[in-house]
Amino acid sequence: MSTTVTKTAGVGGAVSDAVIAVSGLTLRFGGLVCLSEVELTLRRGEILAVIGPNGAGKTSLFNSLTGVYVPQEGSITLNSVDGNTHSLLGRKTHVVNRLGLARTFQNIRLFAALTALENVKIAAETRQKSGPVGIMLGLPHARRNERESDRRAHELMEFVGLGGKINELASSLSYGDQRRLEIARALATDPQVLLLDEPAAGTNPTEKLELADLIKHINRELGISVLLIEHDMRLVMSVADRVTVLNFGKVIASGTPSEVQRNRAVVEAYLGAEMAAEVLDAGPSDTGVAAGAGVAGGADEGKAAGAVGGEEER
Amino acid sequence: MSAVKTLDRQPVTETARRIAALRKGKWYQQQRWARLMGLVFAAVVLDVMAGPQGSSSDVFFALEAVYKEPTSLIVWIAVMVGVWAFAEFGWGYVKPYFDWTKAKATEAGSSVRQVTADRRVKWPLGVGVAVLLIALPEMLSTYWNQVLVGEVAVYVLLAIGLNVVVGWAGLLDLGFIAFFAIGAYSAAYWTGALPVEPPVELTPFLVIPVAVLTCLIAGLLLGAPTLRLRGDYLAIVTLGFHEIIYLIAKNKEDFTNGPRGATGIPGFELDLGFWDYKWGLDPKQYWWLILAFAAVLVFVFRRLEHSRVGRAWTAIREDEVAAAANGVDTVKFKLMAFAIGASTSGIAGVIYASKQQFISPESFILLSSVLVIAYVIFGGMGSLWGVIVGTAFLAWLPQRLKEFVDPKDRYMYLGALLVVMMIYRPQGLIPSRRRKRELTLAKQGIGDADAMTEPVGGRMG
Repeated sequence: MSTTVTKTAGVGGAVSDAVIAVSGLTLRFGGLVCLSEVELTLRRGEILAVIGPNGAGKTSLFNSLTGVYVPQEGSITLNSVDGNTHSLLGRKTHVVNRLGLARTFQNIRLFAALTALENVKIAAETRQKSGPVGIMLGLPHARRNERESDRRAHELMEFVGLGGKINELASSLSYGDQRRLEIARALATDPQVLLLDEPAAGTNPTEKLELADLIKHINRELGISVLLIEHDMRLVMSVADRVTVLNFGKVIASGTPSEVQRNRAVVEAYLGAEMAAEVLDAGPSDTGVAAGAGVAGGADEGKAAGAVGGEEER
Repeated sequence: MSAVKTLDRQPVTETARRIAALRKGKWYQQQRWARLMGLVFAAVVLDVMAGPQGSSSDVFFALEAVYKEPTSLIVWIAVMVGVWAFAEFGWGYVKPYFDWTKAKATEAGSSVRQVTADRRVKWPLGVGVAVLLIALPEMLSTYWNQVLVGEVAVYVLLAIGLNVVVGWAGLLDLGFIAFFAIGAYSAAYWTGALPVEPPVELTPFLVIPVAVLTCLIAGLLLGAPTLRLRGDYLAIVTLGFHEIIYLIAKNKEDFTNGPRGATGIPGFELDLGFWDYKWGLDPKQYWWLILAFAAVLVFVFRRLEHSRVGRAWTAIREDEVAAAANGVDTVKFKLMAFAIGASTSGIAGVIYASKQQFISPESFILLSSVLVIAYVIFGGMGSLWGVIVGTAFLAWLPQRLKEFVDPKDRYMYLGALLVVMMIYRPQGLIPSRRRKRELTLAKQGIGDADAMTEPVGGRMG
């Protein structure tokens, strides 16, 4: 890992308050190395953004965390609030969810033919115990569960700002609302960690601002740690406490947003060595801004990176 | 009455007119002639189909018979030409009225569902239907009573069970009759009608919970290793399971009595001490019994549909990956659907065995499995009322057709009806609301109408 320039600040000290600790994670598909010795720590209560060019392995990382893929090497540990430590490697997807990891999808995957409320209810009900016999007999326990999930779903719909749209079909909601609904559904499973896979993809600038607010709310009010994959650098820089950068399946940098912006390896990954040299060596006073623009794709100089960053990862 | 005048399509210049004429093509190249040819061809085919039965010694017998006596052929062609002429030329005159009626109906908000949801309509309607169903056998002849119980009612029970598996959980089960057979053979075993002696002899009522349990376990046994398979593969496995059960029934002679089947299965009996009621040879009694079971099942299954279990099934059907990612234990819920469906089938099996007093492997052939699936799809997967009405209709139809067509041809008409139905109304007779939405969305490329295929977005997130 010669490319790792900035290591996570104080990795050793941070382990105790880490919710998720990933170490030496390697995922291969035949000869293709998708993730290579990835080290990543999500501290309790923080927002960590994972960025990287297309094909860097960000979504593969998410899929490994949630049990969709089973990496060949490495470890993923989850430290629960109750003090237990669980290994997430190779666990079934729904078990991972029960342990406290909820996720959203890059390409929205709602239950399109159900109403918005029903979508959230399904997730809210997964922890309940009432079985088919109790439901068929209409036992009080089952009825109480039904009322509870209903109330919780209503609350969450209010929380994400969809209170007026509970009875609409999930598929008839606008794109931004569908993203919110997916977040509400993930929150309904009562997670400790929320994994957001490009929540801002395909949303307009206003929706992006609202989304940034929502993510901060989830983090501060509900005390949920957030792991965020995002291409929109403005969003990343405005919400993330720390940023980890992946390129070709490797962690190339990790640190606060401003640190990462100034990191040569990161800028090179986005712009190529030549452009990076130009941008970074422009002047010491300007570096942060210029590299920030390069990575964020906001200003004119960063158009190339912007084009890369703005694209949907396949 | 729009203020905007429609564009005059007449070409302005001579050249433009010539080009337009070229583009238009000759009169005989118009689509309507192709449609006419198609309909005439259909008329010929239908006439041959509806004509006299073929003969194996003379391959062309049926064809010859049709053309030697061309009256029916002419009638068929005339009817088809009439249909064509109306569709091409007459429909334009009728359509405005049709649209008007449709618009009025929607405007008044008087869709069937809304009317029946009204309390003032719902209760009297429910009571009326119940009274009609209870009184039904009194209005029919013994023959039709036999049909009503042996064909219609038993299959309705089966369809209610299969609807849980196929309609709600979206798992294609082609071997559903296997559980029916297990239920029936359980009844035979526990009432002592098989060559092997049971530990205790039970009455049919007491057999029901035992059979339910047996089928439940059989459902779990089949489900546990196979439910991680998707769609088509699962269908093949269930098909194999059916064959296994069928062949065991046929060949394990020391247990099942082989092809000779089991005889002398006793009828139901309700002995309350002060009051003893026996079910005998009268099909009416069994009709009421099945009606009671069906009513209870409909009642509890409706609760199930609108509960966390029903919603979890829908979630799995629509997007298994998303469901699992939100904590739904997909395997558990699929197994649950399998077990509940199998148990219902077991109840039907016990009643069937007890009513017929005789079962043999030939009562549980693969065709029955396929027919139940067809009934469920015809009625509307996932909609209890649709499945019940659809099954009742399709199970009754071949019996009724006997009076009009060659009995050997009956299922051909059933097949044709299914083909037409699936083309023009794939959601079924009385579609479930969720299913209907899914079909519409699947057409637009969003989501999936069942858990049988890979989701549109691919398996991974």
